[in-house]
Amino acid sequence: MYSNHSSDPRRPEREHRYKPKGNNDSQSIMPGEDLTSDYMNILGMILSMSGLLMKFKWAAWSALFCSCISFANSRAIDDNKQIFSSFMLSISAVVMSYLQNPHPMSTPWSTTFG
Amino acid sequence: MKCVLVILLFFLTCLSHCKIDIEEVDEFDEFEESPITVRTDSDLIFNEKLPPVMDKIEPEVTVEDDDEFEHFNDEEEFEGFDTERLHVDDKDPKITIASVPVPFHTKWSSYIMEIFLVMGIVAYFANFFYGRSKNARLADIWFKTHKSLLEDNFSLVGDDGKIEVESSGIIKETESSYTLWCSGRTCCEGMLVELKFIKRQDLATVFNQFLRPIKDEVHIKVDMNKEDMDTFVFCVASKKTATRYSKEMADLSVFCPERKPGANYGLTDSFSVLSELGEVSSSILDAKTVNYINKYSDVLDCLHFSDRYSGFKSNDDTTVATKLPTVKKVLIFTFTIPTDKYSNPQEAISAIYPLMSFVFQCMERIKRLRISKEAKSKAEKNRLRVEEAFLKTTHAARAEAAAARKEEKKRLEKERILKEDPEKQRKWEEKEMKRQQRKKAPRMKQLKVKSM
Repeated sequence: MYSNHSSDPRRPEREHRYKPKGNNDSQSIMPGEDLTSDYMNILGMILSMSGLLMKFKWAAWSALFCSCISFANSRAIDDNKQIFSSFMLSISAVVMSYLQNPHPMSTPWSTTFG
Repeated sequence: MKCVLVILLFFLTCLSHCKIDIEEVDEFDEFEESPITVRTDSDLIFNEKLPPVMDKIEPEVTVEDDDEFEHFNDEEEFEGFDTERLHVDDKDPKITIASVPVPFHTKWSSYIMEIFLVMGIVAYFANFFYGRSKNARLADIWFKTHKSLLEDNFSLVGDDGKIEVESSGIIKETESSYTLWCSGRTCCEGMLVELKFIKRQDLATVFNQFLRPIKDEVHIKVDMNKEDMDTFVFCVASKKTATRYSKEMADLSVFCPERKPGANYGLTDSFSVLSELGEVSSSILDAKTVNYINKYSDVLDCLHFSDRYSGFKSNDDTTVATKLPTVKKVLIFTFTIPTDKYSNPQEAISAIYPLMSFVFQCMERIKRLRISKEAKSKAEKNRLRVEEAFLKTTHAARAEAAAARKEEKKRLEKERILKEDPEKQRKWEEKEMKRQQRKKAPRMKQLKVKSM
């Protein structure tokens, strides 16, 4: 398969298998790693709870956007359940806030409060 | 005759008056006997407003003879009173629910903010699918373009790290990051190619691109064999990257504190050079290499050759490292893909294709490069100095940890004794007091000597 010519740099006997990053400890954070997904997940949860408990509609909507950003930046090895639960929590925050108070959100440029 | 007629008339009028009085008395008697209190006109008016009360009373009323309420129907008895109302009261009370006006506007135009937000989410997902497919296409083009060259240099191209290789091509780490592992070559254990594209799938990053533009990058990390690389740390990088790396990279921050302008070595002004040994910089940056770097100065971001590579510095101050981080001999190349200059992704990838050959040339050169004895001893000294400094810091940390452990042990013992019987507690306290006194005793003696 491989020529024995000295100019051929290939060495099949020296093959090393790939070791994915953080393979030994998946929970450890590598310096320089992109943590946008994790940060957005936590922020989304905080905003969802604010939306659910304090009936802040803007917080519930922001939580939904945070979940979207977390989903878009998630790693392939990340747990999908966590992203799914984040989405469910933010959607429930939006639904609950509108069930309890179906008034529309006041626009930033309007002076009245809905 | 007249007198008789007058007397008769008087008698008749008296008789008629007497009849009326008798009738009136009879009526009142009946009411006194009846258990039901007769409501006056005013009561009726008030009770009109309370139909449920009427409901409750009505069954009792129906038991009684209807005749006794005949006077309610007598119009003369209730002169000036609205008779129609009374007729209504006689029938079953009719409950009518008034239509309450809706308290808020249900028009769609009221929900303008919600409509905008939903549109934003739809736009986000539309951009997600578009950006994801674009990044996947770029990665696919890169792999197809470089596949033949990589297969000529490595016996293994593409590995997912699993026991049984499931996908031998490029691996998707995130929607904007792809990796390719190549191994089975002279002078190196393996080569990891990381394609770090703009996060096109994330609309927030796309907007951020207008404020802080970033570029698609290719990071190539070559793990060199231990015997195929000498001891030195060297880096050529664009000014911005050099500034960042000199602070954040563990090896560069320790071994290359000085940042020299690229012009000193014939490079363009956009480059900075960080080198541990001057000898290494001059031998790597020969005329041919300098020309090559200058030619690709717009796409070449960083060359980082190090025998003490341990990645970025840890920002976690809470945990103190007790042993030296594992180091590797690596060659790191960072190239930018000029997707902003070429609208066609194939052209952009082709523009950096020659740099892959440059990587292999560098590998061969580093394998051949051997530093002088003086430089070697200097490098060894540097490594020893760094190791000693690290051991000093770990020693202090270790001493702190030991003191904390001792304190904790003492506290636990005290708690244990306090839980047991008071006799033991008293003994322990006495013992502790004696120990404290013994500690203080020499000082007291010294004071006495001084006073004398």
